Amino acid sequence: MAIDLDLCTGCGDCALACAQENNMPVFEDDSDLPKRVQFLDLMKVSNDRDAAYPDVEVCYIPKMCQQCEGNDPKNPKPPCVSVCPVVATDVGDDGIVSQIWSRCIGCRYCQASCPYEARAFNWWKPRYEGDFKKSLNPDVSVASRGTVVKCQFCSHIWKRERDRAVAGGELDINAVTYTPACVAACPTRAMVFGDLDDPGSELSRLLSREKKRTFRLIHTIDEMKEKDEKKWKAMMQAKNYPNPKVYYLTSKAWIKEMMKFK
Amino acid sequence: MGELIKRAIDTIKAEFNSYSTGVKIALGVMFFLTAGFVIFGIQILFWGLGYTDMSNLYPFGQWIIGDLGLVSLGGGAFTTGFALYIFRNDKLEPIINSTVLIGFLCYLFTFIFLVFDIGQPLRAWFGYTYPNWGEHLMPTSMLTEVIWCLTLYFMILCVEIVPVALKHKVLDAIPALHYVGHYLHRIMWILAAAGTFLSFFHQGSLGGGMWDIMYGKAVWFRAHHIYFFVVIIGATAGGTAFMTLCAYLAGKVMKKEVVPAETFHSIAKISGILFVAFFIARLVDVVLMATRWVPLFDRSYISLQGGLYGLWLLVLEFLLLAVVIVMLLPKKNREQEKRFLIGIIAGVAAITTDKLITVLNGSSVPNFPWRDYIWYWPTIQEWFIMLGGLSVMAMIYMWCAKYLPLFPHAEKHAHHEGKSQAVAE
Repeated sequence: MAIDLDLCTGCGDCALACAQENNMPVFEDDSDLPKRVQFLDLMKVSNDRDAAYPDVEVCYIPKMCQQCEGNDPKNPKPPCVSVCPVVATDVGDDGIVSQIWSRCIGCRYCQASCPYEARAFNWWKPRYEGDFKKSLNPDVSVASRGTVVKCQFCSHIWKRERDRAVAGGELDINAVTYTPACVAACPTRAMVFGDLDDPGSELSRLLSREKKRTFRLIHTIDEMKEKDEKKWKAMMQAKNYPNPKVYYLTSKAWIKEMMKFK
Repeated sequence: MGELIKRAIDTIKAEFNSYSTGVKIALGVMFFLTAGFVIFGIQILFWGLGYTDMSNLYPFGQWIIGDLGLVSLGGGAFTTGFALYIFRNDKLEPIINSTVLIGFLCYLFTFIFLVFDIGQPLRAWFGYTYPNWGEHLMPTSMLTEVIWCLTLYFMILCVEIVPVALKHKVLDAIPALHYVGHYLHRIMWILAAAGTFLSFFHQGSLGGGMWDIMYGKAVWFRAHHIYFFVVIIGATAGGTAFMTLCAYLAGKVMKKEVVPAETFHSIAKISGILFVAFFIARLVDVVLMATRWVPLFDRSYISLQGGLYGLWLLVLEFLLLAVVIVMLLPKKNREQEKRFLIGIIAGVAAITTDKLITVLNGSSVPNFPWRDYIWYWPTIQEWFIMLGGLSVMAMIYMWCAKYLPLFPHAEKHAHHEGKSQAVAE
């Protein structure tokens, strides 16, 4: 996935669509943010660390599970998968880090290991106010209290699309594409979703075209690749980089600068 | 039925009144905490972890610190057993029963705290049925390793504790049980060796491996499992100090010499030497973190030491370690009661601080450059379950110290005293 921050207005439609599509519980008082269950978090980032008035700027970064790969693409091991004691989370052939709600014992080891704070725990029994229950999505199971949940790039939509394609006589199900709820909801088309392994996909073409504007969350390892490839290889082998599959695009230097710890 | 309850209450009353005022007050506090443990335990098990101060940003809290601390300090059981049965340090014989019981209690309550800590306690058995074994049966999840290894070692502790219970005068009078106890005692070295083997793995896994495999986090990641071994040394050092402290306190409460001074001196010496090894290992760990591992994340080690649980805790740990070494290593210091006591208390505190740093500081470090350090303050439910659990442990230990031959030396001593009195009369 790629998210163009220059196009993002921070409207929050993506977060809302995600919550609705994935049956996120709605509590009476959902202002208790650290305990809120959501897959997509709209992070407000400002350059007030490095700049002073009137140069202070603000941007919004939609952040979901980054679908990490780890340092070995042939044997993908995201930080959260290797730590799960009961194999409740795994990486599929599609590269999506999945989570089985009903297998999870709620130890939160995956949550602690995730550097992107992308996983949420159901601290309370999921509740739906008023008529919300009637609008639940039958394709996504409601997780019970005490389990960890996460964004799976709406892979249930892909399964639905594949079923539909097969029913329509399509034989190559890998050719079937889909659009996750957040991407479909984005009013400015800031989010692009596709197959990173397919050089002809819209996503791959965008990323190869916009190399200079591209970055990934909180690591300068990509910059290293251009400056010193030897060091970059050593750093990748040190297995400390989750190697996420979500790319962000921006033309603002301060946003990239804010990705660095000082 | 009513008669039975009345007799039970009378027994508890008589037991309570048999202690001095100071111990009575302590018992009162422990009963209160235990009541809270039961009430809030039910609340957490039935209504979930929403009542804790843990959150999506701070997923590990007080109970994990308790687990780490209890396993580490309970590690004194395998270290003492190994020194006694394999290295044949017979001076440790008078303290071994007590260490086995403490080890048993520490592991039992680690399981109890773990059950409280997981969101789905009814699925706790999934750890056995769906373990995350990797290639060549090397566990990829350290929690899988911990669950299995802890269970196996706990079984060994259960077997190790049987001969202690069977030595109770009522049970010992039954010939069959006497022989079972006797022969179990004879094969204890095998159990001690197996226990050491298992304990080595889960000490390292829970204390170190569980954290250093979280390779996405700068505060925890270390390559090559160096931390794994650092923590094993820490458990052997802190565990022996804890075993000594418990026996010392038991002697003070019971107002008699439960363990001869030479046993205390011997175990304090072992602890002191192990603390020197831990001091060096921890120093190497901090230096490696600062120079090799943290820079891989484009961060500096010192930048991870901010917030409420930052640098001061690290400094405190090293200060406590220095105190232990000064108090326990030189012979003249460890043979002086006050310095000996300061040494073992500092040892237990140093290992506890080490666990506080791992969990509290590790969880509070911001994951994004624009975020601040976060902090965590356990709720009343977390406090009561933690302190109530520790109170139950203390009360079981007190009861066993009084009614089981936990300290054979004290019994022998009392027996001799009684005999000499009778002769004098």
